[in-house]
Amino acid sequence: MKKNYVIEAENLSKIYAGVVPVKAVDEVNLQIQDNEFTAIVGPSGSGKSTLLNMIGGLDRPTSGTIKVNDILLNGMTDNQLINFRLHHIGFVFQSFNLIPVLTAKENAEFIMLLQKVPLQQREKRVMSLLKEVGLDDKLDSRPSQLSGGQQQRVAVARALASKPDFVLADEPTANLDSKSAFNLLDIMARLNQEEGITFIFSTHDQRVIDRARRVITLEDGKIVSDEIR
Amino acid sequence: MPCGVKMIGKIAWKNIWRNKVRSAVVIIAIAIGLWAGMFASAFVVGMMNQKIDSVINLELSHFQVHHPSFQDEMLPKFVIPNSEEIIQKMNNNEAIKNTSPRVVAMPMINSANYSGMLKVTGIDPENEKRVTDLHEFVLEGKYFEGIKRNPILLSKKTAEKYKIKIRSKVVLTLQDKQGEITAGAFRVVGIYDSKNGMYDEMNAFVLAPDLQKLLDINHDVHEIAVLLNEHDLAESVATQYQEEFPNLEIKSWMDLASGMRFMVEAMDVYTFFIVGIILVALLFSIINTMLMAVLERVREIGMLMAVGMSKLRVFKMIMLETLFLCLIGGPLGLLLAWICIQYFGRYGIDLGGASYSDYGFTNLVYTQLDMMSYISVTLMVLGMAILAAIYPAVKAINLIPVEAIRKI
Repeated sequence: MKKNYVIEAENLSKIYAGVVPVKAVDEVNLQIQDNEFTAIVGPSGSGKSTLLNMIGGLDRPTSGTIKVNDILLNGMTDNQLINFRLHHIGFVFQSFNLIPVLTAKENAEFIMLLQKVPLQQREKRVMSLLKEVGLDDKLDSRPSQLSGGQQQRVAVARALASKPDFVLADEPTANLDSKSAFNLLDIMARLNQEEGITFIFSTHDQRVIDRARRVITLEDGKIVSDEIR
Repeated sequence: MPCGVKMIGKIAWKNIWRNKVRSAVVIIAIAIGLWAGMFASAFVVGMMNQKIDSVINLELSHFQVHHPSFQDEMLPKFVIPNSEEIIQKMNNNEAIKNTSPRVVAMPMINSANYSGMLKVTGIDPENEKRVTDLHEFVLEGKYFEGIKRNPILLSKKTAEKYKIKIRSKVVLTLQDKQGEITAGAFRVVGIYDSKNGMYDEMNAFVLAPDLQKLLDINHDVHEIAVLLNEHDLAESVATQYQEEFPNLEIKSWMDLASGMRFMVEAMDVYTFFIVGIILVALLFSIINTMLMAVLERVREIGMLMAVGMSKLRVFKMIMLETLFLCLIGGPLGLLLAWICIQYFGRYGIDLGGASYSDYGFTNLVYTQLDMMSYISVTLMVLGMAILAAIYPAVKAINLIPVEAIRKI
């Protein structure tokens, strides 16, 4: 019986044009199922961020196909991709990338506003999410008033606010100290185990790799190992 | 208001205060731009309206009636036939406020110290009062009171040039209707100063019967000046009478004052250019600032698009930021302009040593601007601000999220 995958990539390649074209991702085949806690690892330049960006509909493959919950991303227009990301994918970036003029609550709520979620549901969900990430006492704090770890936890709350099919986290712990990194990983692992949220990380942080239940290693744009623990 | 729009508005509002100094500079630039545009318009409008007032209320009235050859040749024989009948007809017209029949000559004027040529107008002082403001400008002596025989009213400029005072005697030498040289002695009854140097230098006034006698034209007149109840009717009423009296020449003030029509139109163009230059400067100032605001936030805008904010919403956000700056700077500029225009409308701007008076303009300009101009300049500034925001907004939506979020 055919399995249902959240993400399904076939012969995915990305070549950056230039004087010397660079093949960042090379004929990658990848399936990710619901509820996975997967780390895509590899040295710098191995293609893990490019792969993540293509999975997230931020970048277009040069060849190959990519499906999210059986929906083909190839061929979507920019606006269709933006709308798709809004409703299907949560993002956590390395540099937090919160909106500096909004409070923690407003940052988490922002995506739901774009989704036109009614006020009551929004309020309820944002309070619950910020409680989940341990920031229910920082609702009215702006990003500049929060530590790096706290900002990244707001980013996680924001990513989950849209009830995405999965969360893509690009080097989420790279700018965090150990304590904040462990704290963040604990939260994400708990959300994965208790609420079944699928997390896909690109990282070379050993702390993340140690917590992942599946580790995909890339080298020169190719998958060289795919370890399920 | 949809919650998404409200949130975008909220972000846009907060964004403009991220760099307070820069926003303050743009707000001040908008305020000053608006003020400058309005004040320049108010100055030109004030100056032109004063000139028009002067032309109508002192020099020409709304329209004048002449013999068709009189304006070109200025000969005494070119009188208006049946002038009394025409005047009576005009005085029965409700659109006409008053008429003043005049006798006009270009005599040599001699004082003990100086000789020269002037335009001398023979008037009925009471009639003239109802048509022009001449009586209000008398500085010394009285408006045709105190001297019974051959009184003459001269300007301050003429009095200084000819070195004459009240009650001084001057002699007017001219050709009569038959072409014979004739002369008459006149005594200065009053000295006026209309603040219109060019007019003052050229004009003197005597009683109509005195001049008629010298010219030997009985009770005939050369000119009928007509004042209307409404400025705007000048051309149409003049045309109406021209059609009724095809053997006379009837011209409105715009056609009589050589260059006046051109000047009014030129001033409109001049104002348009001044406001245009200010707006263009403002346009580039806003483009520059908003572009900086976008380029400083490349990563943030990339993130917004990455997480699902549509290009249209990003576009709206940048446009709203500019609009908010305008909505703060605009009223400030409007208020500043209104205060200045009201103040200088009351006390005037003294152009000092500038010799505007020599060109028929007053040295004291009272600014004025109608509500329509306030609205049109405000709309132009707002329109320009929106136009200025388009390029930075397009720049923002053309960012590629995957590249933008990696920008440092």
